Amino acid sequence: MVGRLAEYINALSSQLVKNKVETHVVTYHDFLTGAVEEASGVKVVRVANPVRTHIGVLTWDLTLNQEVERAAASIYYQANKQIDLIDVYDWHFIPAAVTLKSALGVPFVYSVESLEDHRSPPADTPYSMSIKSIEWLGFYEAKKVGVKSEWMRNEVARIYNVPKEKIEVVAPNANSWVKKVLELYKTVAGGLSSQ
Amino acid sequence: MKHELSVMMFSWEFPPRVIGGISPHVFFLSKSLAKNGVKVYVVTCDFPGAPAHEVIDGVDVYRIDSYKNPAPDFATWVYLMNLNMQREAAAIANKLGDKIDVFHAHDWLVATAGIGLKHVFRKPLLVTMHSTEMGRRDGLHTDTEKMIHETEAWLTYEAWKVICCSDYMVSHVKWAFGLPEDKLVMVPNGVNTNVYESIEKEDLKPFRAKFALPEEKIVLYVGRLVYEKGIHILINAVPKVLEKVDAKFIIVGSGYMKDQLSNIVRSMRLGHKVLFLGFVDDETLLRLQKCADISVVPSLFEPFGIVALEAMAAKSPVVVSDTGGLSEIVDHNFTGVKVYPNNPDSLAWGITKILLDENYKNYIRENAYKKVQEKYDWEKIAQQTKRIYEAVLGEYSKSFWA
Repeated sequence: MVGRLAEYINALSSQLVKNKVETHVVTYHDFLTGAVEEASGVKVVRVANPVRTHIGVLTWDLTLNQEVERAAASIYYQANKQIDLIDVYDWHFIPAAVTLKSALGVPFVYSVESLEDHRSPPADTPYSMSIKSIEWLGFYEAKKVGVKSEWMRNEVARIYNVPKEKIEVVAPNANSWVKKVLELYKTVAGGLSSQ
Repeated sequence: MKHELSVMMFSWEFPPRVIGGISPHVFFLSKSLAKNGVKVYVVTCDFPGAPAHEVIDGVDVYRIDSYKNPAPDFATWVYLMNLNMQREAAAIANKLGDKIDVFHAHDWLVATAGIGLKHVFRKPLLVTMHSTEMGRRDGLHTDTEKMIHETEAWLTYEAWKVICCSDYMVSHVKWAFGLPEDKLVMVPNGVNTNVYESIEKEDLKPFRAKFALPEEKIVLYVGRLVYEKGIHILINAVPKVLEKVDAKFIIVGSGYMKDQLSNIVRSMRLGHKVLFLGFVDDETLLRLQKCADISVVPSLFEPFGIVALEAMAAKSPVVVSDTGGLSEIVDHNFTGVKVYPNNPDSLAWGITKILLDENYKNYIRENAYKKVQEKYDWEKIAQQTKRIYEAVLGEYSKSFWA
C-alpha cells in the first residue's frame, strides 16, 4: 500500500463481486507475484517489473506496463475475450489501458484520484510534463472519466479541456456509491462499436 | 484462404531517418522480404517531411508520432516513444484483422512496444540484437546503462528467437544475457552492391580533386566519432603512415569526440592532411567510398561492421581491427588486412602495406568484392530470415496461443 487507493480498490472490487460483476484486479507487487482469488471472490494478479534498475518513476512505470498488459491480455483470452471494460486508476497504467483498447477494442474508464498539476505544482518540469502527457492521453482515449467530487470534475475540464459530459462524479462516501459505479460502467460496456 | 506470411517490424529508424546501421538494415531486409513473398509492415519513428504512411516496393511503412510526449532524458524518451509506437501499431494490427503472423523488433529501442504487442495479440516475437549496452559502453557503469542492459535481457527473454548478424554477436549475446544456444540464430547483415555499380562509369576525377591532391592517396574512415569506433587509434596512426606514404585522411561522421580529435590533429600540425567532413549525404558518401585508396575500420567494439562491407562492395580495399564481426567479414591477406585492435603501429603497418603495393591492393579488392556478392547478398538474407519466421510459426502452431 502506498496511499489510500489500495483500500478503495479493495472495497470497490468486493462490492462489485457482491453485485455479480466478474472482477479482476491487476496490480503491482515487487515479489508477491502471480494470481490469487481473495475470499471476497475478487481475482487478483500481481506483477513485478522485469527491469530492476531505473533512473526514475517514469522508466519504472513505462516498463511495468508491459507486464500489466501481459496479465490483462491473459485474463482477456482466458475469459474468451468477454471483458466488457477496464477501469484504470490514475496515470500509471494508462499506457496499458490505451494499448488494450487499441488492440482488443476493450473500452476503459479513467478514474481520477489526483492530477499531476495538484501533486507537483506548477508541474512544468520535463518530468511533470511527461506525466501530464500520459494523463492527457488517458482523458483523450477514455470512454468515460470517473471523479470523486464536483471540484475534480471542474479541474479535469479546466486543465485538460475534457467535455464535462464525459466526466461522471462518483462520490465514495455517498449511499448510492456502488449503484453509481455500476451505472457508469453500463454506459461504457458493450465495446467500442456502441460509441 | 490462408493469407501470405506477414510480419510487423519495429525499428526506431528507417529512411529518411538515419542514425546508425539499423535504418539501412531494416530498409533492405524489409524490401527483400517483400520480394520473397513476405508481407512486411514497418512501424518506425516519424521524420520531418516523411509521410505517416507509404508503400515502398511492397513494404507498408508507418511512421508514428515519436515526439508527442515531452521527456526528461533520452532513455525516458525511448520508453515514451514506445508507448506511442505500441498504441499506433496496435491500432494498425487491429485494423488489419488477424493478419499479422509475427512481430520482429530491432534492438532495445523498441523493446517495450514489441513485448507488449506480443502478449496483447498473442503472436510470436523475434528480435534482432544489433548491439548491446555492455558492448557499447565496455561494461555497465551507471543506472541508465544497467536499465538498458536489463531491458535488453528482458527483450531477448521474451523473444522466440534472437537473431544476430555475426558469430561473434551470437556468442556475445549468449554470454551477456545467459541465453540457451538454440534460441540464437546467425543471419549476416547485407550490403547493396547495385548502388556502387551505378556510378561505375562515372569520371570521379573532378570529385576526387575536391578532397585530395592527385599525388595523395585517400584513406577513408566512415563512422561515428565515438570511443568504441577507435577513431582515435587512426588519428594516432596518421604520422606513422605519413612517414612512408603521402596520403589524405578523410573522416566522415560526427560524434562527441570530434573536438578532441581535431585538437590532436592541430597540435600535430597535420590539419592539412586530415579532413573532418562531418555527416555527408549518400551521393557524396558513395563516391568517396569509390575514390578511396583504402578504407579503415579501427573499431574497438564492432558487433558487425557494415562499413567494412560497404567498402568491399565499393571495391575499396579494407584494413580492419581484428575484433568482433570484422574478424569474420575479413580474411587476412585475402579479402583485406587485419590489424591488432587498439594499436596505432599495427594499424599504420596495415595501411602502408596496402598503399605501397598496387598488385596486392588489387588482389585484395577483387577477392573482397566476390565475397560480398556470395555471402552478404540481401536476397539470400531475406530467404534465411523467411525460413526463421516459418520455423517459429511451425512451433507456434503447436502452442496454446495458436
